[in-house]
Amino acid sequence: MRRFFQWTHKWWPGLVPLAVLWVAALWSTTAPLERELAARAGQALEGNVLDQTQLGVSGRDLTFAAAAFSREGRQSAVAAIEAVPGIRLVIDESRLVPEARPFVWTVERDVVRVTLGGNAPLPAIRARLVETARASLGEVEIADHMRLARGAPARFDAAASLLIEQVAKLKDARISLSDTAVKLSGMARELGGREAIAAALKGLPPGYSVAANVIQAPPYVFQANKDPVADTVTLTGNVPDDTAKDHIIAAAGRKFFNEKVVDQLRTSIGAPAGFVAAAIPALEALSRVSTGSLVISDREITVTGDALYAAAVTDIRLNLLSHLPKDWRAKTEITVRPAVGPVDATVCQDLLMQLMGKAAIRFESGDATIDRDSAGLLDRVVETAMRCPSAPIDVIGHTDAEGEEPANQLLSERRAQAVVDYLVKAGLPPERFTALGAGSLRPVASNATVEGRAQNRRIEFVVR
Amino acid sequence: MSFLLTYLWGWLAAAWFLGFAMGWISVVSHGRGLSRATLQQALLLAVALLALAAVQAVPGRAGYGLDLALLMLAAYVIGCVPGAWLRGKVVARNLRRSARA
Repeated sequence: MRRFFQWTHKWWPGLVPLAVLWVAALWSTTAPLERELAARAGQALEGNVLDQTQLGVSGRDLTFAAAAFSREGRQSAVAAIEAVPGIRLVIDESRLVPEARPFVWTVERDVVRVTLGGNAPLPAIRARLVETARASLGEVEIADHMRLARGAPARFDAAASLLIEQVAKLKDARISLSDTAVKLSGMARELGGREAIAAALKGLPPGYSVAANVIQAPPYVFQANKDPVADTVTLTGNVPDDTAKDHIIAAAGRKFFNEKVVDQLRTSIGAPAGFVAAAIPALEALSRVSTGSLVISDREITVTGDALYAAAVTDIRLNLLSHLPKDWRAKTEITVRPAVGPVDATVCQDLLMQLMGKAAIRFESGDATIDRDSAGLLDRVVETAMRCPSAPIDVIGHTDAEGEEPANQLLSERRAQAVVDYLVKAGLPPERFTALGAGSLRPVASNATVEGRAQNRRIEFVVR
Repeated sequence: MSFLLTYLWGWLAAAWFLGFAMGWISVVSHGRGLSRATLQQALLLAVALLALAAVQAVPGRAGYGLDLALLMLAAYVIGCVPGAWLRGKVVARNLRRSARA
């Protein structure tokens, strides 16, 4: 044994080639070892949710830099790397993703692109939101300006996905989610888009609420154009539903006695309140001009055209304003059509008979109040009467045979007088007109049928 | 450690063989060996380096170099022992044969 220890004193010369061997080993193994350890650490981190992960290996020491989304996640990632065989030391330079208070997320749409901004809680959710935007918006450019942050409310991704889907219904939009409060503004792409979005927002996850919804709808437009050459009134644009459409077309049929009503309307939700109640007097105003148009845009009515006589200009405007529902506005741009040339009494009589052949002046049932549907017809009677300014005219009222004759006589006189009043109010001299009542004594059709009775209830004009 | 042994086994084997050869030669070497004091100092140095490695005081690549050096030194010394022991046996047997002859 003593000799053995003596031999150990002579082992040192081998240290020189050993040192050479060490240098060679160091030179050839360091870089591959570092690559191997980095790969193993990368594998160990799979399944850990991290952002901006960077692994730097020097020798057997590993520097770990990343943004973690929870304390547990950060600890778990460090433990996973420390467990990798071969790693001697883990220098932990990881940090927690900053917490956002409040947790704000936004989506905006302009002409060019849709921009996702604000905070997203996890990289996977961020990617999913971008994917949802691509799927629901088609070819629109998507800009992802989201940054990762902690502090998202529960079911954030479901709420954000639902809001992204609403962007497809908007022409321009700004939607924000601040914790659980949703704010929306912008312009709907189509009529009904605003209502569709409001309905979709009811599907927000529990706990989320709509703090502000100021999405605007495109103007709700209804138009009527009167073409005196084609003798048509073309109705275009939107009406709320089929009932309203039928109502408006029926009213137009009564008011435009001389024109064919062309229906190009479509039903669409989003009509302002009182739409039908505003459209009817607006159509009445249009019926009193010779040529013109009517535009209803949201709650604003514009009537343009040529009135048949000067007094009608003010009367049309005042009538329209007095019959509009609350919060509606009306603008009239009405001029007076140049007076048509005078005619003699015979032609005047013919023209009046032609007018009365096309439609009857209507009155409210059992009363002498002129139905407003007859305003257009009466304006043409006024215009015709103005063409024979010196001819006296008898205005004769007739009733059907329903009821007692004295009452019918009185009613026919009152109705004739109502027509005379209308003519005088239009600017014609009162001395030209004589109101007469014929009761039911001079029927032109059988009083046994509804149609016959309707024909018998009439006003006759006799030009003398 | 097992990872390093697996990863560096070729180099460690080379150090062991070098040690075995040195041990083999040392038995018949006529040169003067290290003095006892020098050997003790070398031993102290090795223990100090071992302590540095144990507490991971040397960072990065230098730390890996230290680990590698200590492992190769250990393989070398471990190789020296059987080399010297076997050569000692051979020499002793030859001496006995010569004495009988």
